[in-house]
Amino acid sequence: MTIVTGNEARRRAQPAGSSVPRKIWEHRADYAYVLPAIAVMLIVIAYPIYYTIELSFFNTPPGLQLRDKIFVGFNNYTAILTSDVFWQVTFNTLIWTIGSTLISFVLGFAAALALHRDFIGRGILRAILIIPWVISAVAASYIWKWIYHSDFGIIGAVLVELGLTSRPPNFIDNVSTVLPSLIVVNIWREFPFAMIMMMAGLQTVPEQLLRAAKVDGANAWQRFWHVTFPHLRNVSTVTILLLAVANFNSFIIPWIMTGGGPSNASHIWITHIYELAFGRQRWGVASAYSVLLFLILMTLGYFYVRALSGNERKEGNA
Amino acid sequence: MSIAAETAPRGQPRRGRRIDGWRWGGRIFLVFMLLYTALPMVWMLSTSIKSGFAAMQFPPQLWPDQPTLAAYQKLLDPQNSVGQDFLRFFWNSLIVSTATTVLSVIVAVPAAYAFSRFRFPGRNFLFFAVLLRNMFPAVIFLVPLFILMRAIGLVNTHGSLVLTYLTFGLPLAIWLLKGFYDNIPVQLEQAARIDGATRFQAFVLIVMPLSTPGIIATAIYSFIGAWNEYIYAYTFLSKNEQLTLPVGIQRFFSENTTDFPGLMAASFMMSVPVVVLFLLLQRYFVRALTEGAVKH
Amino acid sequence: MAHVVLKDLVKTYGSFKAVNEVSLTVNDGEFVALVGPSGCGKTTTLNLVAGLTSVTSGDIFIGDQVVNDLDPKDRDIAMVFQNYALYPQKSVYMNLAFPLQMRKLRKDEIDRKVKDAARVLDMTHLLERKPRELSGGQQQRVALGRALVRDPAVFLMDEPLSNLDAKLRVQMRSEIKRFHQDLKATIIYVTHDQLEAVTMADKMAVMNGGYLQQYDTPAQVFAHPVNMFVASFVGSPAMSLIPLEASTANGNTVLTSAEGWSLALSPRNMRKVESASTRKIVLGARHSTIKLHKSAVPGSVPAKAYTVEPTGDVTFVQAFLSGAIVNISVSPDVAVKPDEQIWLEFDQERVHLFDSETEMALKAE
Repeated sequence: MTIVTGNEARRRAQPAGSSVPRKIWEHRADYAYVLPAIAVMLIVIAYPIYYTIELSFFNTPPGLQLRDKIFVGFNNYTAILTSDVFWQVTFNTLIWTIGSTLISFVLGFAAALALHRDFIGRGILRAILIIPWVISAVAASYIWKWIYHSDFGIIGAVLVELGLTSRPPNFIDNVSTVLPSLIVVNIWREFPFAMIMMMAGLQTVPEQLLRAAKVDGANAWQRFWHVTFPHLRNVSTVTILLLAVANFNSFIIPWIMTGGGPSNASHIWITHIYELAFGRQRWGVASAYSVLLFLILMTLGYFYVRALSGNERKEGNA
Repeated sequence: MSIAAETAPRGQPRRGRRIDGWRWGGRIFLVFMLLYTALPMVWMLSTSIKSGFAAMQFPPQLWPDQPTLAAYQKLLDPQNSVGQDFLRFFWNSLIVSTATTVLSVIVAVPAAYAFSRFRFPGRNFLFFAVLLRNMFPAVIFLVPLFILMRAIGLVNTHGSLVLTYLTFGLPLAIWLLKGFYDNIPVQLEQAARIDGATRFQAFVLIVMPLSTPGIIATAIYSFIGAWNEYIYAYTFLSKNEQLTLPVGIQRFFSENTTDFPGLMAASFMMSVPVVVLFLLLQRYFVRALTEGAVKH
Repeated sequence: MAHVVLKDLVKTYGSFKAVNEVSLTVNDGEFVALVGPSGCGKTTTLNLVAGLTSVTSGDIFIGDQVVNDLDPKDRDIAMVFQNYALYPQKSVYMNLAFPLQMRKLRKDEIDRKVKDAARVLDMTHLLERKPRELSGGQQQRVALGRALVRDPAVFLMDEPLSNLDAKLRVQMRSEIKRFHQDLKATIIYVTHDQLEAVTMADKMAVMNGGYLQQYDTPAQVFAHPVNMFVASFVGSPAMSLIPLEASTANGNTVLTSAEGWSLALSPRNMRKVESASTRKIVLGARHSTIKLHKSAVPGSVPAKAYTVEPTGDVTFVQAFLSGAIVNISVSPDVAVKPDEQIWLEFDQERVHLFDSETEMALKAE
C-alpha cells in the first residue's frame, strides 16, 4: 500500500490513549538524534533570552559592575517609548526592512523568471548574479563605501562626467540619501537569495498545468498570474519572511558604512541596540529594546511558522 | 517572462511579436541585473590593482594605466607585519569555518533525520523551536552570551565562535535536510534492514549517500555563514592574533583609512574562498533547496 | 523454508487498533495472500512479521522461534515492496549483492549467487544498470531477485504488482506463481486486489478493520464466505446483496421484498432463514448464479435492467431489484436494453443468506 506511511503517520497522530511520560519513554531512542541540536540551541538561546529579560528591568550605570545592577521596574521601557530617537530609529527600521525585502524579492523573482528559460550562458549569468550573496557583508560594505566615496567614488564621478551635478554627491554623509543608499547595498547582497529560492520553486511548477492553461487560451501574463504565481505562493511567503527577518536583524552594512550616522539617519534597531550596549554601556536599556524586538519578532515568527507548517501539512497529505 | 518565452510558438508571426516583448523585457532586465551585480565587483578588482596614488585621482580611471599587484604582495608577504596579520586572520577564519561546518553536519544530520522519520512527543514543538532561532538577531544574544562565554572560559577563543555559529547554521540546515529525508522513501531503509542492515547501517549505507546533495548544501551554508560572520567575532575576540578576516580587516583599515587598493585587495581575497566554493557546489545548493525546502 | 504462525497478534497506535487478535498459520511452502481494502491492517500485519513495526501483544513464530523482539535482519526474511525500494545509487548488481554483503559472504560467493539469481530472472544483461534506467517490470524483477538471492525462510511481498500496468501485472502474476512453485517458498503476499489473491494464493486471509475475517483456500472463501464483507469483497463483479424480509406463507418460509414479490426457498435455505434471530435477511448471489429471463417464469422475480456492458465473451447486466443493484452475466447473444423489464431466477444451491444485523452467513443447523 502506498498509504503505509501516511496511514501510520495519521494513526500515530491520533491522541494517545497511553500517558505522555510513557510515550516519551517509548520514544527515548528517538530523542538521542535531536539531543545535540537541542542542547546547542538551549545553551545559546534559552539562557540568553532569560538573561536579557532579567536585565531589561535593571539600570546599569556605566562603570558599575554588571552584578551591581539596580532594579528599576519598567523604567527602561517607558524611557524608550517616550524618546524621540526610538521613533526615528523605528521609522528607519521600517523603511529599511520593507524597502529591502520587497525590492529584493521582486528583483530576485523577476531574475528567476528571466533565467528559467534555457539560453547560452545562462549558467554563467546565474552564477555571477549569485556571487554578491556569498561575499561577506563586511567586504560588500567596503566595496560600496568606496563606490559611494564623496571624493573618489565612481558613481559621483560618472554623474559629474555626464554633467548631472557639478561636484560628486555625498551619498552616505547626507541625512536624506543615506538610508536609500544603504538599501541599494543591502539589495545587492540579498536579491540573489530570493532568486535562488524562486528558481527552486519554479522548477516545481508542473509543466502540464502551463500547457493546459495555454490550451485554455491563457496568454503569457495570465499563465503567470493564474498558474505559476499561485503555485509559488508558499515559497514566496517563506522567502519574504526570511528576507524580512534577515533585514530586520541586519547590522553589518549600516554599522560599517555609517555607524548609524549622520545624526541617527541610518540607525536601525539593531545598530542602535548595539551602540547602547557596547558603546554607552547602557545594558538595561539595550535589553529592554531587545525584549521589545523579541515581541515584534515573535509576531513575525508566528507567520513564519505558519508558512512553514503550511508546507508540513501539505507534505503530510502527499 | 520565462513562461512566455518558453512556450513561444515558432512560426506564428502574429502572436510572436507580443511574446517577444516579454522575452526582450527579460533580456534587458537581465542585462541591468548583470551590471548592478558585476560592476561593483569589477570596481573592487580594478581598484585593487591600482597604486595608492592612482586610486585617489579625479576623475577615477575605470581601469588603471599601470596595473600593479603591490596591494596583494603586501597582504601576502609573511615578512612584513601587514602580511603576517592578514595571513593569520585568513588562517583563523579557515579554522573557525571548517570546525563550524564539520560540527554543523554532525549535529544537523541526525536531528533532521529524526524530525523526518520519527514521531516522538514534542517533535513539532522542538522542530519549530529550532527554526525560531532564525528569528532572533545576533545582537540580542550578544551580551548574555558574552557573559556566558566568560563564565565558561571561552572568551577570546575560537571555541566561543564555533559554538555560536553552529546555532546560526543549524535551523536552515535541519530544515533543508529534513525536506531531503522526507523525499527518501522509508521503504528503502526498511528494505535495507530486512536485507540485513541495522538501523544505523541502513542510515549510513543507504540514506546518507542519497542525501549527499543536502549535506553538501548544508556544509556550504555553514561554511559561508561562519566565514562571513562579523558581530560575534567583533565582540568575543579582542586579541589581535585571534581575529577572523572580517574583523581583522575592519580593525586594520580603520587605522589606514586611505589605503583603498589594499582594502579592495583584502576584500577580494576574503571573498575568493567562499565564492569559489559556492560556484563549484552551487548546483547541489539549488537542488537541495528544490528538494528540501521548496518541493513539498 | 519455514512456517509462520501469528498468535493473537495485536498492534495499536495510541487508541487506534490497527491489528486485532489476528491468529493464523502459514505452513511451510505455502503461498498466503493477506487481502482487504486499504486501511484494513494487512500491511501492518506484514510489517509486524517483518519486524519493521513493534508488536503490541501476541506472538509471531518463524519456524519454531518467537521473533517478536528480533531485528528484521535477524528474522531470515526477504521482502518485496510496492515501490520496489531499489537502492537508487547502486547498480542492479550491487542491489542484488547488498543483502549478501550485509551477511558478510565471501566475494566470489556473492558473485556466484548474484549471477545465479540474474540468470533465473533473465536479467543478466541488466546487471550494470541503475534502477532508474529500468522499466517498471524490470525493476520489479530486480526487487524479486534481491529477495531471492538470499534464500530466506520466508518471503514477504507488499503489493508488489500494484505499480505495474495491467498487462504486465498479469504476466508478473504468473511469474510469481511460477517462482513459488519452483522454490517451494513460504510466501506472505499483501494485496488489495482480491483477484491476485484468488489466482495466486494457496490460502487467502481476508481482513477488514484490523480483524481477520476469513482464512481459507480461495475456492472455499469464494464458495462459502463467512460474512457479507467477505462475500462482497471476493469475486468480480462483486456479489449482489439484496435486503429482504422473511415471512411465513402456508407454513413455508419465503423472502419478501418491499416491492411486493416474494421468493420461495429450498428446504435447506428455509432452515437457514428459520435459524436466524432476525427477520431481516440479506440474499447474496454471484452474477453467474442468476438466470435472466425476458418473461416471467415460475420462481423468478421481476427486476428492471439498468446498464448493459458487453465485454465480448460475456455481457454484464446491472439491474434494480428491491432497491439493490444486481449483477448478472448473460451470454452476448441475449439482447437486453436498459430500462427493460426482466425476470431473475436464483440458483437455490448457490445463493448465500446473511443475517442483516450480524452480517454473518446463516447456517443450516
